Amino acid sequence: MGYFLDTLIDSSMPMCVTALVTMAITLIFKTSFTTNFAQGVISAFGAYVASTLFAKMGMPVFVAVPISVIASMTIAVLVDVVLFRKGRYVNAIGKQIITMGLISVIVSVIPLIFTDLSYQAINFISGNFTFYVGDYNVTFSKNALVGIIITVIVLVLLFVLLRYSKWGLSVRATASNEYVAGMMGVNTHVVTAVSWGIAGALGALAACLNSAGNAEIGVYFMTEYQVTAFLAGIVGGFATFHGPVIIALCIPLMTNLISWFGNGVISSITGDMQLGASIANWSTTIIYVIALIIIFFKPNGLFGKKVEKKV
Amino acid sequence: MAKILANILPSPANKLALKRKELHWIVSELDSLEEVTSKREQEEIAKIKFSLNKRLNKAAFDACDKNEYVQELIYNKLLSYDVKNYMNHRALNHGLIKKIFKAKRENKPIDALIAEHDKKYDELKIKRAKYVDKLEQEKQRFLAKYTTTSSQDYENLKKELMLEFEQKADGIKKELAAKMQKTRAQLEQKAAKVKEEMAELKKQVPDAATLPDDVLLQVKGLKMYFGGLKAVDDLTFDVKKGEIFGLIGPNGAGKTTVFNCITRFYNATGGDMYFENRQGEVVDLRSFKVHDVILQGISRTFQNVELVKEISVLDNLLVACTREYRSGFWAHLIGLPMVKKEENILKLKAMRILKFMGIEAYANWYAMGLPYGILKKVEIARALMLDSRLIIMDEPAAGLNDTETADLAQTIKRIRDEFNATILLVEHDMKLVMGICDTVCAISFGQMLAIGTPQEVQANQAVQQAYLGAMEE
Amino acid sequence: MKKNLLNKYSLFAQDTFVQPQSKMIGIKKAASNPILHYIIFGVIIMVVLYMAVQLKVLPYSWYGGIIYTAAYSISSIGFCLLMGYSGLASLGTGGFIGIGCYAVYYVTALSGLPFIVSVIAAIVIAAVIGVIVGFISLRIESIYLVILTLGLSEILRNIYMSLSDSINIGTIKIFGSALKTADVMYVIIPVLIIIMIITHNIIVSPTGRAMLAMKNSTAAAQAMGISLLKYRLMAFIICTIYAAISGSMLILRSGAATASSGTSFYALITSLNILAAVIIGGYKSIWGAVFGTFVMYGLNSTILQSIPFFTENPALITIISGVLVIVVVMFYPGGLAQLLQNLKFTFAKWKKKIREDKYGKDIG
Repeated sequence: MGYFLDTLIDSSMPMCVTALVTMAITLIFKTSFTTNFAQGVISAFGAYVASTLFAKMGMPVFVAVPISVIASMTIAVLVDVVLFRKGRYVNAIGKQIITMGLISVIVSVIPLIFTDLSYQAINFISGNFTFYVGDYNVTFSKNALVGIIITVIVLVLLFVLLRYSKWGLSVRATASNEYVAGMMGVNTHVVTAVSWGIAGALGALAACLNSAGNAEIGVYFMTEYQVTAFLAGIVGGFATFHGPVIIALCIPLMTNLISWFGNGVISSITGDMQLGASIANWSTTIIYVIALIIIFFKPNGLFGKKVEKKV
Repeated sequence: MAKILANILPSPANKLALKRKELHWIVSELDSLEEVTSKREQEEIAKIKFSLNKRLNKAAFDACDKNEYVQELIYNKLLSYDVKNYMNHRALNHGLIKKIFKAKRENKPIDALIAEHDKKYDELKIKRAKYVDKLEQEKQRFLAKYTTTSSQDYENLKKELMLEFEQKADGIKKELAAKMQKTRAQLEQKAAKVKEEMAELKKQVPDAATLPDDVLLQVKGLKMYFGGLKAVDDLTFDVKKGEIFGLIGPNGAGKTTVFNCITRFYNATGGDMYFENRQGEVVDLRSFKVHDVILQGISRTFQNVELVKEISVLDNLLVACTREYRSGFWAHLIGLPMVKKEENILKLKAMRILKFMGIEAYANWYAMGLPYGILKKVEIARALMLDSRLIIMDEPAAGLNDTETADLAQTIKRIRDEFNATILLVEHDMKLVMGICDTVCAISFGQMLAIGTPQEVQANQAVQQAYLGAMEE
Repeated sequence: MKKNLLNKYSLFAQDTFVQPQSKMIGIKKAASNPILHYIIFGVIIMVVLYMAVQLKVLPYSWYGGIIYTAAYSISSIGFCLLMGYSGLASLGTGGFIGIGCYAVYYVTALSGLPFIVSVIAAIVIAAVIGVIVGFISLRIESIYLVILTLGLSEILRNIYMSLSDSINIGTIKIFGSALKTADVMYVIIPVLIIIMIITHNIIVSPTGRAMLAMKNSTAAAQAMGISLLKYRLMAFIICTIYAAISGSMLILRSGAATASSGTSFYALITSLNILAAVIIGGYKSIWGAVFGTFVMYGLNSTILQSIPFFTENPALITIISGVLVIVVVMFYPGGLAQLLQNLKFTFAKWKKKIREDKYGKDIG
């Protein structure tokens, strides 16, 4: 029981990070009709800014993180305004490739700017809550608690904005048909740029949380979450905003539960530590296979709607 | 794929399909035999002519009038020199004009420029005079060298060669004709054999239904529901052989849905569709997949032009024949000569059809930049590639102007007459429909309003109501 | 002696029949045969590699750069066929490349069977995976398919990591003699050339046209008797098989690979690079695919590294390749193949302009 609780607590931080990244990816997909492959490195850039301000210059964390959010936001908006809009013949797949080209640019720029920064992770609050379940020592880091609070506030705020604000309406209009939305008086350029900005901000926030939760920082450390977010996007269906986020919350939880099932349950029943460990090793693969099977039978995602094609 | 399937499951129907393909090729080869032979003959004769000319050359030179010869030689040389010189003059004149304009802008005197130009002009003149002198000397030298003319040899040789040519040409012609006869006989024998085998197989594959003799397509109680929407509801009509059948109705009446059901793009909710295919068997269209319908002899055109833009018009026509090739993927992969041969036969056919449509000049153009009217014609040509019995046209006149529409009407009639095809069309242009259709069927909300000759349908009250709205009583 | 002067005296006037082609035209026609171009290209590459390795005229780094380009090019060509001709896209290239690597490792390095057997094994496994992806592609399209193949690639990578994280094939024997690193080119370059020729044949054949029709409009293609299932399966099978072959070639050159490393052959970055290579080169041209791959994988070690400025600032190389990708997509959607065409066009325009300047406007 204690191990199970520990697993749940362990998955809280990845869940928050994945949910934020997925929200960002979905927002961009709905307004720009493309998948942003550079989301991971833009977020990593934000994490590096925060880390420099926090660990090297000694700024308080609640100043460093907002500045990093603004930095990522700026880059993301610039991508939309400078690269996407200035290109002469850019289509959806072209935008994808541009974001891929951006990966190699940002990845090389980061070491040039942040020269002597070796693994100085961000820390919101040090220390853990510790309690015993049976004789199992469960630790709950304060960082995770902060992460959960921030994520919940941000996501709730975003959903409320999308549902009830004028901006949310314009986003939904742009997502359904950019051309018509433009004709109806929605300034789609502004909508797209703002969406990119929010996506960049969410990315930086997610990167900071990830850095605090796992005590790590790296150029590629958000890529894994980004891939998961893509998968969550299509399993949940890009048609809605809540679908991808719900699936994004499920994926890390499921992965950890499978490891728990292997290491905790199977090992204690069979007494075979090897077997349990190997099941835990395959957890990611199992999740992917399940996701693929779902997509095969529901091509528009679990929450998506079927669109009839006209010949 | 079809081959592999037929080998794994050698059911009579599959065997029949393979035989059908074989027969089709034999017929195509027979069709193109004459054209190929005549092309070959021309090439061979040209070769003979060339070699004979070469042999005569020396004697001809001896026999020719040397004065005339050298005159022509020099004339040619001077001509090519003058062409070059003309360009020099142009450059000079154009340069002068530019300089004068420049000088005027800068308010400088232009006398010096004109003087310079005149000097250069004179230089060119002197140069030409020198060249003419040189040619004159050459002429003199030539005449001094070749003084005699002897036409005796030439006349004899010419007669001899002419005789030889006739013999050779006759030989080639006979040889090719014999070869053609032999191939033709072989192919006909093959065709007869295949037909026999097919007849044998046909006994094992019973027809799906029996149709009256003059009916090509029978649609019985066709239903197509999309959820609760009844797009087509209980529609029944017969399309007779060799007629032009028009399907009309207001927007949203379900005309295109009917087409899509016949060509199996939609799986009809209910009803039967029977069709007499290319081999005269009656088949149930509902038992075919969408990409197999064309093999039965139904081809269609689209409302919006759906051509491959990146390849030429000719290649677009060949796309329709994808299922006709006997060479499979592996032959394509290695690039066997067999593929080329098949392609040549098909290309001849495609050119014939393009000529029929009057657009053979565009054969090698990319489909991308061509005008809409031409593209529409290409699409019809593509539908003709497979000798289909039934050609389905979805709004062929959409986007065309009046002249083009009148032209289209003539073309549709000619297709019916020359290709022995039956035509089923949906069209909004009432002038076109009433002008060319033998039978018109009017539908509204998926249900039949009237069927009959254009006049009958025009006079029908229900049709008028559907088009003009219900009259107040 | 001018022939046309004798027209009056000749047996037949020469303009009344088509003259047979002279020998010179025959040679020209043979030289315009595209298959010959591929073979000449292969010979040139071999000569360059020979100069780098045996004669040491060129720097040794050229060898690695060109060999890697050649090996990756096989994947790119397959991808070119998939994207440019069938209108499908995939980000699974990395995972598919792994099939080739692990086939060589298990079949040849561990079991000691001949190299060719491992390549055949890789082809068979790749074909099976291609069939799976092809079936999926019937239900799911465009960007969804891209992400799905990305997921598939991650699954494959997880499987590789569980099988054996790092592999080392040691020395491979081909035709009874151990293959040295310097001799790898005698295997890889011919394979590349054969792949190029095969792909060319497919593209110009009815199969290629059918694929193009399918890309343009699935409805029209089906009405013309083209089975979507057949051609989509075919496209994916070819693409995965090419990727697997490319993987066998890559492992032959590098000797070892680690699945968990972020820059291994089967990582996401490979799939992205191959996609970028095809886009840069022009996604409908075999030459474009090879050239794009060279930009992504070979430009660095051949040309840029011999410029001192770049040797001092290695980070700039990656930045430049990234910027190049962005600029090409923004301004030349047809890739460098299109750029080349534009240059030709510009050249002709300049020539005309010069003529006009010299002789006046109405020269035409």
